[in-house]
Amino acid sequence: MPVKWVLHWQPNQGSTVSSQILNEVTQCVESINGVKEGRWKATLNYYKPMLRDQANQSEFPRDFLGISLADQPNKYYFIIRSQRIVLEADSSIQLIMEKLQSYKSKVALYFDGFQYQLGDFRLRVGKVVPTHSENVRGIVMEVEYLPISSMEKAQKVMEEFLEIWNEALAKRSLPGKFVNIDLNFVEFGLGDNYTPQHTAVRYALVMAHMIATVQAVRG
Amino acid sequence: MSMECVVQGIIETQHVEALEILLQGLCGVKRERLRVHELCLKSGPNLGVVSSEVRLLCDLDQPEPTWTVKHVGGPMRGAGADQISVMVRTMIESKVSKNALRMFYALGYKLDHELLKVGFAFHFQRTAHISVSVSSVNKMPKVHAIDEAVPVTPGMQIVDVTAPATPENYSEVAAAVSSFCEFLAPLVHLSKPFISTGVVPTAAAAAASLMSDGGGTTL
Repeated sequence: MPVKWVLHWQPNQGSTVSSQILNEVTQCVESINGVKEGRWKATLNYYKPMLRDQANQSEFPRDFLGISLADQPNKYYFIIRSQRIVLEADSSIQLIMEKLQSYKSKVALYFDGFQYQLGDFRLRVGKVVPTHSENVRGIVMEVEYLPISSMEKAQKVMEEFLEIWNEALAKRSLPGKFVNIDLNFVEFGLGDNYTPQHTAVRYALVMAHMIATVQAVRG
Repeated sequence: MSMECVVQGIIETQHVEALEILLQGLCGVKRERLRVHELCLKSGPNLGVVSSEVRLLCDLDQPEPTWTVKHVGGPMRGAGADQISVMVRTMIESKVSKNALRMFYALGYKLDHELLKVGFAFHFQRTAHISVSVSSVNKMPKVHAIDEAVPVTPGMQIVDVTAPATPENYSEVAAAVSSFCEFLAPLVHLSKPFISTGVVPTAAAAAASLMSDGGGTTL
């Protein structure tokens, strides 16, 4: 499948993310001739262990995530980033987790936005909101380069796109920019050929960075 | 489909060939080889308000092993259930990528026991989607030592008949499984799992009949 980067909005020191910024971003996509294709949604769940004795909490992973991806409607992905584990499963795995009752989804986040076609690129831009809330926690942008599925081969093109994209955004004087985080997929048992599991891992990393950013702003 | 109807029985290895001929005639489909490594995992002592179990099945018959996670619930109980001659229980399956065992270990599950099932299966449609498998159940002297597996009960094999069902149609599915099992009665007695009725005393005669004319005899 095509190589995809998952960018996230990094607000400047002292500023926060908002719906207004998302509006500016989507307007920017449209101003560079991005063609809107429709809505985009994804869901991410944080799972916490149900323990009889809270004292041994550290024995269990604190970063057990589950994510459903828009382009894989029948699949669900689990990531335990600290242990470099990623798993692709059928959507029914969520029912299995419910039956097991050993882990429960304590926090759910929605990615809610739009999909655009821009030449050989497919873009998805959306806000990150907790369920039952309109509070924008972040902005995420997927950039997919359709002709290439080798990450190595797509590296240069993606870097160039990111540069051009941030330049176009800069004209709007927004308090931040989009950032891509690189990681070593080999540690997760993933190769150069891009797969949805790569996307799942990228999201886990983006969420970790978003949380760290929020904590830094607060702290 | 989140339920299944199940019956089980045992047959002497010497009669398996006759059973295969009978099944070939009844099912009208090609038999498939069965070579499945079944790992039964149980939640560790502190995990979950109640303990939970999950099965990982590795299909070794494929060029590249494929994994499935399976959760089997307790059998349906009550007067209604007692009247049905097959076991009806919740069952949820999910295909997973190869990291499933690592993930469940990381989540705090432990290996309770593992088995290697070797034999054959028929999958066909008769009112319900029925699967019949005949296999020897093997245990491993060392953890995951598939190549050193030895039969748990030499000279005996297990016959499993299962069919997926839903809360709406389980009675029909149970009836379909039940009526199919009647055809196998000369060779193997099938009943709810854990309620063993032993081998069929006249199986030898039935087998001889099947073997001598290749299944043309109506039993």
